[in-house]
Amino acid sequence: MEIRRKFSALLLLLSFVLALLPLSANRSFTVKPDKLLSEVLNEDVSFTVDQVAEFIVREDSTIQLIDLRSPEEFRKQTIPGAVNIPYHDLINTDPDIWLNNKNIRNIFYSNGNIEPDYALVYARGLGYTNSFVMAGGMTEWINTVIETKFEGDRITARENTLFEVRRRAGEMFTELNNLPDSLKTRFLESKKFSAKKLDGGCQ
Amino acid sequence: MGPLSSYFAFPDWLNMLTAFLIGTGFGFALEQAGFSSSRKLAGMFYGYDTTVLKVFFTAAIVALIGSQFLSYLGLLNLNQVYVNEFYLTASITGGVIMGAGFIMGGFCPGTGLSALSIGKIDAMVFVAGGFTGAFIFTETYPLIEGMATAQYKGPVKINESLGLSPGLFTLIMVAAAAVMFRVAESAEKKFARPEITNELK
Repeated sequence: MEIRRKFSALLLLLSFVLALLPLSANRSFTVKPDKLLSEVLNEDVSFTVDQVAEFIVREDSTIQLIDLRSPEEFRKQTIPGAVNIPYHDLINTDPDIWLNNKNIRNIFYSNGNIEPDYALVYARGLGYTNSFVMAGGMTEWINTVIETKFEGDRITARENTLFEVRRRAGEMFTELNNLPDSLKTRFLESKKFSAKKLDGGCQ
Repeated sequence: MGPLSSYFAFPDWLNMLTAFLIGTGFGFALEQAGFSSSRKLAGMFYGYDTTVLKVFFTAAIVALIGSQFLSYLGLLNLNQVYVNEFYLTASITGGVIMGAGFIMGGFCPGTGLSALSIGKIDAMVFVAGGFTGAFIFTETYPLIEGMATAQYKGPVKINESLGLSPGLFTLIMVAAAAVMFRVAESAEKKFARPEITNELK
């Protein structure tokens, strides 16, 4: 067999092997950089902790909180209803697993703003327009919702509603995070599986 | 050097040196393969010499297979390889202009420079034309900006837009190359012209 035939056969063989290997296909950003930038800088993509508290109290099923912190931090303290997808996992696996349901608004949060903002650019860049962030992250959540208190004698109706929402969300937060470790782990694990089931099809 | 190392920042001079060595090697290979002859390149369009197709396509599929394997073995981070951004209108328009320039001038930019370096006069004219084109493009950019940036698709890869795995896409490309080479060789027989390689020396 002449050398070029051998070489062609080798290339065909190697590419056949490649076709069988589980290579991960990376996805590209499909939104133009300037459009993406103005989109993520827009205030509409960010929810305040009070808005999130209201979602939780109302048990709004159209939102999904995504905790981007490490599993250890998540187990220690988390917002009720959140699922844990560490930032590293989010950007290194197919995001379709978590973000494909267009009817659900995914809200990223972490301790501060950096990782959620990165995640927001990443998700919106890939075309997941149902991605949002919770401004200020856990730090802001603790400061505003958990440690809320009203000073003074008079309280307006609006302030009262806000306070009630914060108090109720705070109660739910404390209740979840004060569960004994074994119960909490079991609860959070069950949340993890239900998140996966979302895209499971008819099983 | 992103794809080679994510952890170490190579000094600028090393980046430039690497680019210089790769460029020199590329130019040398082009010249040795006879690509500094515009007749050999134009042969692609007339069907009497399809070396260009075979060489470039072989290089592409070898690089395709090699980079996938290196990536699979963890030696190359394909995520850090720059992917050109795709503007549909500009690609079609640019492709037509490039193709017309290629067949009229008998060179593509790389082979033009390769031929220039061995003192070919037609290559000098070709490269001067290339620079003139680049100058006109830059000067008229505000007028054509709308067209140049229309239909942005992002740095999208073909396998991605077809929904295929990179491995399967590679297999299809290799199979397509094999078929194309056969067709090209039968075209060479059909449109055969006297051998010009010796004349070039």
